[in-house]
Amino acid sequence: MNAVLEALAMVATTEVAIAVLASAVYGMVIGALPGLTATMATALLVPVTFYLSPIAAVATIITSSAMAIFSGDIPGCLMRIPGTPASAAYTDEAYALTRKGQAELALGASLWFSAIGGIVGTVCLMVMAPALAEIALSFSTYEYFWLSFLGLMCATLVARSSPIKAIAAALLGLLVACVGIENPGGVPRFTFGSVDLLGGIEALPALVGVFAVSEVMRAMASAPPPPIPNRRFGSILAGQWALTRRYQKQMWRGNIVGVLIGALPGAGADMAAWVAYATSKRFSAEREKFGTGHPEGLVESGAANNSALAGGWVPALLFGIPGDTITAIAIGVLYMKGLNPGPTLFTEKASSMYALYLIFIIANVLMIPLGIMMIRASRQVLRAPRAGAMPLILLLCAVGAFAIGNNAFAIVLVAAFGVLGYMMERNGYPVAALVLGIVMGTMVEQNLVTSLIKSDGEILPFFDRPVSSALAALTITALLWPAGVWVLRRLQPREAAR
Amino acid sequence: MHLSDRVTGTFLVLLGALAFWGGSRLPGVPGQDVGPAVFPMVIGGGLMLCGVLIALGIGRSFEEPEGDPDAVAPGLAGRLGRFAPLAAMVPPALLLFYVLAVERLGFLPTAAIMVLACALALGASWRLAIGLALLAPPGVHLVFYKLLRVPLPEGLMPAPWA
Repeated sequence: MNAVLEALAMVATTEVAIAVLASAVYGMVIGALPGLTATMATALLVPVTFYLSPIAAVATIITSSAMAIFSGDIPGCLMRIPGTPASAAYTDEAYALTRKGQAELALGASLWFSAIGGIVGTVCLMVMAPALAEIALSFSTYEYFWLSFLGLMCATLVARSSPIKAIAAALLGLLVACVGIENPGGVPRFTFGSVDLLGGIEALPALVGVFAVSEVMRAMASAPPPPIPNRRFGSILAGQWALTRRYQKQMWRGNIVGVLIGALPGAGADMAAWVAYATSKRFSAEREKFGTGHPEGLVESGAANNSALAGGWVPALLFGIPGDTITAIAIGVLYMKGLNPGPTLFTEKASSMYALYLIFIIANVLMIPLGIMMIRASRQVLRAPRAGAMPLILLLCAVGAFAIGNNAFAIVLVAAFGVLGYMMERNGYPVAALVLGIVMGTMVEQNLVTSLIKSDGEILPFFDRPVSSALAALTITALLWPAGVWVLRRLQPREAAR
Repeated sequence: MHLSDRVTGTFLVLLGALAFWGGSRLPGVPGQDVGPAVFPMVIGGGLMLCGVLIALGIGRSFEEPEGDPDAVAPGLAGRLGRFAPLAAMVPPALLLFYVLAVERLGFLPTAAIMVLACALALGASWRLAIGLALLAPPGVHLVFYKLLRVPLPEGLMPAPWA
């Protein structure tokens, strides 16, 4: 109980209040602008978090990402352009509702079920994380190695692209993490004589490059979104209670799917929304209505993408393995603020954890009034020309990267990773896998090398302990899964021909 | 810039081979079989394997078909015609310009040039581009220099509050 009171005291400060409010407005605006994602919003926030207290720093990340995932629904609903990838799964559905004159219902459902999803996700995080921490305390380097390897494999499985390209992207990320002297031998590795590279390539400039600069690059070579039609809104939340009662089962299913997918490393809100929408359609009694402006899928996937945000924090807090690209950034901030991820976090820093849960709840409750304001102001925000927003983002990339270590080399890295991210995306290589590789590289290597030293170079001890053998089996299944699917697909047309 | 799978696959094979070779030349840890060489060699091997598979077109059936081809973009890309994909290289080029110029010119002029060029390349009107170039750099400077205490270079034109 003492820890809870301590947590309350940590949250109830002016600094945290200002941080939450400011980052909420920031997240709402960034999420609503097409092309600017929740991950980009988080990456550009990191330099600011340097100067905040630990709780305020984490609060800005939680709040801005939750708001951005919701407000990504707004342009999807009004203009058929998803504001963030997490809204893409149900953009057509929401837009169909708008065309039927029910924009309020669609936007209200997005807002209402986003908030519910966020809160249910938080409760799951509160229940799941300490329970898993108990188990995780007994993990050795073998388990950690398989766990991080499994995380990388998951990221490649859920990528909506060729699994081989996804694995290649993850390997590329691991290779980037090899640079520097922080390796088992303490020798300069792949530094090519550069002093700047001795310390290694930090994840943050890479993230800013891959998620922000490459987005500005894409804007250069694509047409801007069409102007938003003029519209007056009626009551936003009217009818949501009826929807909640009618689609209660779908809502819960969406929440649970969201949390589980969020907890899978590398798979975040966007994947949760796709899966939830597909499940909703699959099990619906009125399947033929999907795509014609039917709120059922909206309820389920809208809840899923916000509950996935909280789910993503489970592996991040427990193992330092990011559950999605947003927590990939958050892990760096946690380390910087002395909240090193690990199972002991829940015993030694219990009050900080309670504070984190509290902020999740506050952010999701705050989402409703702020969301209504944002919907009402959407015309003004969405009228902001892309040619005005993108130069600002580019300037913030430069200043933000410099602010990380007062080092101009970081800006060069940002530019380089911008080009890399842009080229990868254009050629079907998922950038999320690359980022996961960069963030997890040191961890994978440390656990692999320590395990190898312990086992005298033998492979068998990797499978000895019960948990590690189970994790190994899962990892190998994940690795061979695409091959199995491929073989099945090959066999099917032949049978059909017969 | 869309490249064929054969090109990117071959590139990955070469990169993997370089990582493997570079890793194998790293000095070991005395009295220890496993050292800094293991990880890059494993990754290099994996990259080579993936590269070969990609170049052979295996796994392509999992890829989503590409969205509608990019409509004509306004601004610089529209004027470049055949070389339109090169417009995408403007943002990283501007970042490099920032790195090279900021010490000498100072933050305010460098940032203004960067914002102006980026806005114009995106097809902004002169009014918007100039307005943004005049307002954004001082605003960003105020937040980062005053609030966050990031030592942004003064150069030729120090900000009045610096």
